[in-house]
Formats: sequence, structure tokens, C-alpha cells
Amino acid sequence: MSSTPLSFCDGMRRRDFLRVGSAGLLGMNLSLAGLLGSRAHGANPSVDPSFIYLFLQGGLSTIDTFDLKPEAPSSVRGIFNPIRTKVPGIHICEHLPLLAGQTDKFSLIRSFTHNDAGHGAADHHMLTGYHPNAAFNAGLSPNNQHPSFGSVIGQRLGARGAVPPYVCLPGMHPSASAAYLGPSAVPFVIETDPNSPAFEIPDMQPPLNVDAERIADRRALLARVDRFQQAAELQVNGAASERRVFAERAVSLMTSKEAKDAFDIHREAPKTRDAYGRTTLGQSCLMARRLVEAGVRCVTINHQNWDTHSNGFATLKDDLLPKLDLALSALLSDLAARGMLRSTVVVVTGEFGRTPKINKDAGRDHWSRCFTVAVAGGGIQGGRVIGKSDEQASDPAEAPFGPEDLAATVYHLMGVPPHEEMRTQEGRPVMLTNSGRVIRDLL
Amino acid sequence: MKGAPQLLRGLLFALACNGITALSAASPAPDFVHDVAPVLSRFGCNGSACHGKAEGQNGFKLSVFGNDPVADFEAMVLSGRGRRVMAASPDQSLLLRKAVASVPHAGGPRMREGSREYSILREWIASGAAYSGGGKAEILSLRMEPADALLGFEQHEPLKVIATLSDGSEQDVTWLSIFHSNNPALAEVDENGRVKTGAIVGQAAVMGRYAGAIAVHHLSIPRPGAQAAFEEAPHSGAIDRLVNANLRRLNLSPSEKVDDAGFLRRVYIDIAGRLPTPAEARAFLSDSRAQKRSLLVDALLESPEWADLWALKWSDLLRVDRRTLGFNNAHAYFQWIRSSMQSNLRWDEFARQLLQADGPLQENPAGNFFKVAKKPGEMAATASQALLGIRITCAECHQHPFDRWTQGDYHSMRAYFEQVKFKKAGDEEALVSEGDPKVLHPRTKEVLRAHPLGTPKPEADPEGDRRRALADWLVAPENPWFARNIANRIWAHFFGRGLVEPVDDVRATNPASNPELLEHLAGSLVRGGFHPKLLMREIANSDTYQRSSVPNSTNASDEQNFSRSSFRRLTSEVLLDAICDVTGVPEKFAGVPKGQRAVQLWDSEQQSYFLKLFGRPMRTTACECERSASASVSQALHFMNSPALQSKISNAGGHIARMVASGADDARVVEELYLGCFARMPSTTELADACGYLGARKARRQEAAEDLCWSLLNTLEFVFNH
Repeated sequence: MSSTPLSFCDGMRRRDFLRVGSAGLLGMNLSLAGLLGSRAHGANPSVDPSFIYLFLQGGLSTIDTFDLKPEAPSSVRGIFNPIRTKVPGIHICEHLPLLAGQTDKFSLIRSFTHNDAGHGAADHHMLTGYHPNAAFNAGLSPNNQHPSFGSVIGQRLGARGAVPPYVCLPGMHPSASAAYLGPSAVPFVIETDPNSPAFEIPDMQPPLNVDAERIADRRALLARVDRFQQAAELQVNGAASERRVFAERAVSLMTSKEAKDAFDIHREAPKTRDAYGRTTLGQSCLMARRLVEAGVRCVTINHQNWDTHSNGFATLKDDLLPKLDLALSALLSDLAARGMLRSTVVVVTGEFGRTPKINKDAGRDHWSRCFTVAVAGGGIQGGRVIGKSDEQASDPAEAPFGPEDLAATVYHLMGVPPHEEMRTQEGRPVMLTNSGRVIRDLL
Repeated sequence: MKGAPQLLRGLLFALACNGITALSAASPAPDFVHDVAPVLSRFGCNGSACHGKAEGQNGFKLSVFGNDPVADFEAMVLSGRGRRVMAASPDQSLLLRKAVASVPHAGGPRMREGSREYSILREWIASGAAYSGGGKAEILSLRMEPADALLGFEQHEPLKVIATLSDGSEQDVTWLSIFHSNNPALAEVDENGRVKTGAIVGQAAVMGRYAGAIAVHHLSIPRPGAQAAFEEAPHSGAIDRLVNANLRRLNLSPSEKVDDAGFLRRVYIDIAGRLPTPAEARAFLSDSRAQKRSLLVDALLESPEWADLWALKWSDLLRVDRRTLGFNNAHAYFQWIRSSMQSNLRWDEFARQLLQADGPLQENPAGNFFKVAKKPGEMAATASQALLGIRITCAECHQHPFDRWTQGDYHSMRAYFEQVKFKKAGDEEALVSEGDPKVLHPRTKEVLRAHPLGTPKPEADPEGDRRRALADWLVAPENPWFARNIANRIWAHFFGRGLVEPVDDVRATNPASNPELLEHLAGSLVRGGFHPKLLMREIANSDTYQRSSVPNSTNASDEQNFSRSSFRRLTSEVLLDAICDVTGVPEKFAGVPKGQRAVQLWDSEQQSYFLKLFGRPMRTTACECERSASASVSQALHFMNSPALQSKISNAGGHIARMVASGADDARVVEELYLGCFARMPSTTELADACGYLGARKARRQEAAEDLCWSLLNTLEFVFNH
């Protein structure tokens, strides 16, 4: 993980890290043993893994997309028809024709389940692998009681190149942050919409009215006037060295061509941009591919508006599903074409599914007892259906899996031991995953 | 924990009748309370990540840390279809098979077959699985041997935990105790109680826990090598004497006294929450009076900015939260805090007014404290944390794992607030405290009377508004917590670190780094009648506060003993104001009168990318930790590239443009910028270098001056208080 035993993979020194956690020295120090431990070998040590989490906030109706029930009564089955796909025996929704051509690349867990059908807590459960406790305040941002997948992966695997290890876009889901892992595991957040014509990362480039020569002059001048950079104080003040580390990272982000290019979606060929769809979802998926290609370990895409209570079928058919079909199929085929799919785990899910019974507003309400999660890449075999729901997709009929198992599986594929004991900032011991099982049938 | 409850007695009797028990006369058979429960704790079975978590693990739930032995006994012996404990064939008991992982166990093997711990569990099962048998003595107290120690770098030391029992005997329970260090960087402790020191000077506390009792070992790790020699200034006051005595114990010598400029910048930030203007800096630096530092301290303490800064601090802790309270209530709540600071309200009176607030909220806005905390338990926990520095939230559900607080303590504190209600009459909302609600212990159902933490249980609840009794106790000069907590918070404000750290986590297992000093500060506060500024003046005038940040050959690794000044990033509001002052361009906040400074904002929801980015707290808890001083890539990018910052630097009405337009010479421009950013004159080299930069760009002097300002703003020297 590092060239010297005192150095973190993200370039921070051990002492800096101790000070980062000075508000809760107890906890931070104790987790240090684990953090300093050698990077675990993943399921496949020959690949350097990455993770793309496509989170469909609001709750994708999987009974209308990935697990249709054509035999169910009309009050349940909905108006969409299943179609055959590239893999014999797997059927998905007729409004996902492009994905139907790619079922060999991904698998479906059709017996996914958890116990909370409220947005905030379910989000936290799906993004961290932990259902939050009673003190949870969904209104906070971040509201993490446990670190998000991306924070764990980013911190444990560390930065690869000049780009940050963990990026969220567009904006950050409030449960996508670091909790007790502290500032080095907080995501770099792209607040703006990558589909907007003027898309750029705020503050990533110097102001337009300051030309390159002046920037160079300024930086040279800064190096001379910053007297603490050379002073003994820097060595003994963790907060100062922490800031210096981040400032260096910021400079490398600004000055590294690869990083600058990765964030500059306008460099992508218009044809490719069209292939992903000129939508927030499509361009976010394209951005994720660009970032992973440049070395980002985890990209979490938070796409909203999937809470289809009313007029759900029309919304899905005319708006959401065409976007998803285009974006996700482009992402999978693009990753595959670039040889990146074998090292990039992709998870697509909402915080829950939707009720088997159709409501009076031609939509469906929240349903966490049974839904489908789509997974691909990074050692996951495509073309499989894992688990099974009952005849109305109201409960798993076999092999139920939950967010804990998803966490264990993702960490396992990323080479992070899922059952490690961590410490919160108060010193409370906590397992990285809440006794989840690696879903072996996917591998 | 005396006898087994009735239902269990029946079971034990049944087991005995089956002829299974085999009590040995020589050494009494193990029982659940004394032997089995400590084994379960020691080997991590009831940890909060395993069977101790709220939903248990794989169908087997234990109370966390063995908090509820009766329930644990039931889980072990009565549930699980009798498979967990099988007296007839002990080795087939699931408890043992899981413990050694001879059947699949997610927690892996926790012990070896035939080990001492295994034998205890096995013998307990074989002898009939008693809850509490054989008239065993109760545990009265726990102590550590040795109680304290002085250790060098990288040394080992074995600790013993000794229990004193009710029959007068003592028992070595080391092997069943759980150990925890409050500062593993200084001293680690392994599961057998063996301490290993690192290579950092300082003090650590190691806790041993056994059967719900706690013992603490205090450890000092002095710097190895020749005795550090330093002389104490003849005029030293109590603060310096106590700090220096501690430094001598640790073989450290303090850094030099900070120069005037260093003091100037530091004391403005700490007392007034802003940087001195170039004019103020020039005046102070050229002042030749011997007592100019203490005169400045006095002047700043009387400035309105002092009240702004402390109003902000208390608004964070007491949660002036517009989202929860609504605009009018939140604003009135803030105004009460701000005017309390402005009028020098004594700390004890401030706490009393807060705790006793009642009546219409618009007339007595302190009552919003109870509105934002919502439930009686949260009120108790928030008041404890903010006013006493004690976190009791853990004890709502289980005994605090690192302290003595139990569910009884938590819910007895809660009982003070059970009378609080809000009544609406038209638009007016009023707090009333009435009725005689009973509070029951959630587990034992015992009636709990309102009484303060760490005091004997009374027979009855206080008469009338119970909160008055709490306030009386809280602000009494002999109260052990309140004055210490305020003193510690004030100390932390001036040094970036409390004597107890975190400042709101006072525990036996988290002792003050200099207890004598904390006692002195608390005493000083009480002697000064809780005047809000006297202790601050004493601190700001001490040599300890006026140390340089330059380390010497002895104190580089010292972080907790105040031998040198440490770096603290300016808080979000102070930092934004500092940028505005340096550039001469105020920030415009939506819906706020023009010219209002960030430190003066009462609403933590006020839209501001900058304040959010630099760690403004959300005010959802009373934890000081909500305010974040951590760095991020985005912060660094913002300082380097933000168009908002650039437009302040280049603003036509700003300082730089005006200076350049006024025809000030290069040296003057450089000096003004150095004074504005760093409160010091540039050194000769710095002056020459910067003048050289400006001189080489005569054709675009404005831009060159902007570049210099940009560079100074991006230094560590600007962003930090040092």
C-alpha cells in the first residue's frame, strides 16, 4: 500500500492521521492498526478494482423492470410486458431493449430484502450496509452513522494517480460520506450536472481573468512567502501538514493533465456522449467511466426522481426507463469494450423496490421486503439470476439477500476484508459489515 | 444482581431435581454473574458489533457489555430451545461449540477447548448453570495495580486488576478484565493488560473493566534524556507554575515567548474573532509601554466583537437551529444569548436562566433550549453535555462502557425535564413545567427520582419545577462539574485543546492532562463569581498563552501539555471575515443587513458555500465536534481558484485597488498586505522579494499587488492561528 511504513496510501503520514482524529483520538488510533495493515488482496489479485454505484434514489420499481410478474393478477402485474434477452431464460421489461441485449454482462439478485420502507434510513442501509440506529437524522448532510461503500473503498485502497479516490456526482447523497473514517475518506463532490453545457468543476481551474503566466508567478511567489512550509512548526502541527497535503492534492488535480482531462467531459467524442444519452443520468455514467479510467476507486452516482407513487407507469415508460436503458447499456458496453468491466464492479439499485399492488394513482408505493439489485463486472459473472421472488414479488421465495450481503460482496471484490473490526470516534467497536455474507453465487 | 428472579429459581430447582448439579465444596461452582458473564464480556461475545447489538446476532442476543445479566441468563439458558446450555452433555452445548467454532460461527473461534475460560463455561453448565449461587461475595470495587506509573519510551508494563469483594477478600481478575487506552499513540494496552508505550511524551489513562466496574491506571511518559532546564519567570502566576511543574515532570521545556506580532494576531483572533487592521497592528507594534499586552487583552475583552464571538459559540452548543425552531423563535433565542454575552452575564446566571426558562417563548426565549431538544431525555443529555461536559447518551440504553453512568443515572436526570411542556395560546407559545410525572427504570421498572449525576438517590422528586433544583445544584460553587467544564471550554478556546479533551467528554477514563491546573482554573472561575471575562484575562496574560509556536529541542512531540502554541485553523466565520478585512470587500449575505460579518450571523442555515465548505456546524447536537476544522481538497481549490475570492482581491473599491490608486510606494503596499494578513511587518528579505515582484511588473502594478495578496492568503500563516 505504501512505499514507507509510516505513510498512508493517500500520502498522509501516520502522525497526521492521528491528529486528524484528535476530536476522537481514541477511535481513530484504534482503527489505525487496520488502516496501516497491508492492502488485502481482492478476489482476483491480478486486477486493480474499481466500483461504480448507480443509486436510483426514490426506489426503482423492479417489479416493472427486472422482475416482472406476467402471471400475477392485473392489480399486480402492471402494464409492461417482459421481453426475451440475450441470455435464454432471463426476461426483463420491454422498455429496456438495449439492456436486454446485454444481459450476458450483468446479473440480477431477485431476492433482495430489508426491513425499512422509509427513504432516509433505507438509503443509509443501502449505501453503507448498515441500517441506522434510532439517533439517525436523515435531514443532516452528511448523516452517516457508518461509512459509505465509497468512503471505505477510497480510504482502504487509496488514491491512484492525481484524481481523488472517491467521487460523488451530481452532488452528494447525504448518506454517502465517511462517518468515523474521517476527513481522508470524505468524497470529492461534483456539485454540478455533467449534462449542462457549461459543466465544469467549481474552483478546479483558475479564474478566467487570471492568465497562465500570472498563475505560475503566483505559485512561485506563494512558495517563497509561505514561511511555515519550511519551518519546524509544520513538522509538529498535524493540522498544518494535513492542509498542506490537501493543497498538494489540489494542485496535482489542477495541474495533472490526466485529472483535468478526466473531469472535462467536453473532451469526450460527441458520438460517445450521445450513446450514453444527453441526460443527467447518461452523462453521470459517462463521467463515472472517465473517472474510473483515470484512477478513481469509487464513483457514486445519485440519480433522483425514482419515487414513482403516482402516474408511475407513464413516468417510467416515457422518461426514466429510456434514460436508464441508454445510460446503463452504454456504460456496460463501453466498460467491456475498454477492457475495464473485469476490474470494475457496477451496482444498480434504489433504496427499495415498490409495492406489488398498484395504487389508485397508477403508481406503486415503497416496498423493501423484496426487490431486485443489478450487479456487474469486477469478478461478478454476468447472465445469472440469483435468488427468486414469490409469485407477486412480495417476498423472497428463496435465498434472501440484504444490504449487509451487498456490502460484504462489494468489499470482498475490492479486496477489503469485510469482517474487520473498526472503531468509531467514540471508541465503539464496529464491524466493517454487519455480518454480511459474500454472495458466492455471483462469483 | 443479588438473587436470581423467581422464574429462574424455578428453573434452577428443576435442574437440581434432575440430579445434574455437582457443587464442589472446596471451590464453589462457577455461576453466571461472577464467572460466566465476565467471560462473555472478556471474549467479546456481548460486544456491540456481535451478540450485543440491538438485534443480536444470528438469533442469539446478549445485552451489550453484559448490562442486563438476567436477560442474558434467560437468553442463554431458557431460549434457544435448550440447545445453548445442555447440562446433560455439556460439550454438546451450543455455547461451547460456537465458542470454539466446532460448529460454524460467524465470530470465529473465541477460545480454545480446554482453556481456562472454556473450563469455566463447561463447569458452569455441568454444575447446573446457576444464575448466582453459593452465596458468593459481591464485587464492591475495582482497582488497578499499579495505580500510576512513570514509563520511558517503548517500555512494557503489566497491569493487574484487583477486585475487592463484599466479604473483605480480594481477587485478581486481570485475566477476565477488558483493557482500553485513552490514547493508543502514547500507550497501547493488549488484551492481557500489558501496556506498551510509544515514543511520544505525555500522559495516558488505561482502563480496566470487569463485571460493570471500572479501574483506571494513570501513566506518564517523560521525554528521555538529560534533564530539561528552564527558569520560570519571577512574575509567574498559578497557571504558569502549574503548567511548568507538569512540564518538569515530563522533562519538557517550554518554547520561547512569542514576539509582539505573534501575540497580537493570536489575541485578536482568540478574543475578538478577527484580525487586527494594519493601523491597529502598527499602533501596537510601535507601542513601547511594558504592559501593552495586558492593556490590549483588556481592551479586546471589552469590545463588542468579544460578545459576537461567544454568542456564536453558545449558539452552536445550545443549538440555535432555525430549521427546528422556526425563524422567530431561533432569532429570539440568539438575541437572548447575544445580549447575555454583551451584558457580561455571569456563567452561573446564564446557566440558571437557561435551565429555569419558562413562560412565553417570545418573552423568555431561553425556553427554546427545551424546544430544540424536544424530548426530556434529549434535554437531559444536551444539558449534561453542554453545561457539565458529560456525555450520558450511552446510558439511555446501557451502562456507559467507559464510565460509571448507568441507565438509572440517565433516567434520573431525565426526570428533571419530564414536567416540561409547550402550550399554545393563539400565536403565543409558552413553556410550562408542571405535574408530577413518574419516571421508571426501563429495565427494572424501579421508580427513579430526579437527582443529579453522581449524587445519592433521594426519597422523592423535588417540589415544584424540578429544573430549579437542578439549577441550584448545577451552579453551586461546590458542584464538581460545572465550573470545571466552563473553565475547560475557555481553556480550549484559547489553546485549541482542552485539559480534558474532547472538552465535552469528562470521564474517569479520560482524565485531565493536568488535573491540578483544571482545579485551579475552576477555582479561579468560582472565586471570580463566574464573571465571564476574569478567567479569560488570567489565561491571556499568562506566559503559557504567550508561548511561541516554534518547537525547541525537547517539545516537538508534545501535544497535550501546552509547552508551545499549536496551530489551529481559523473557524469558517472568522476565516471569511479575515478575507473580507484583508481585501476590504465585505461579504454580502442574502437577507442580512449590509456590512454584517460572518461571525455575527445568527442563522447557521444562512446560504454560504464558503461557510459550509469550511466546517460550520449544523447545530443538531450539543457536541463541540460538530464544528469541523478539517481540511479538504475542495477547500484548497477554493482558496486558489475561487472567482469569488479573486473578485474580492481585484475589486475596484477594495483595499488593493485603492492603495495602488493612491500612489503608495511598493514598500508601503507590501507592508500593508503583510500587516493585514499576518499582523506583522515583512522581514527585510520578504520586503525585498515582494518589492522585487512589484517592481518587475510596473506596467500592471494592480495585478502584481493582487498576486501578492493571493499568495499571502494562500499561506499556512494566514489560514492558521499560531
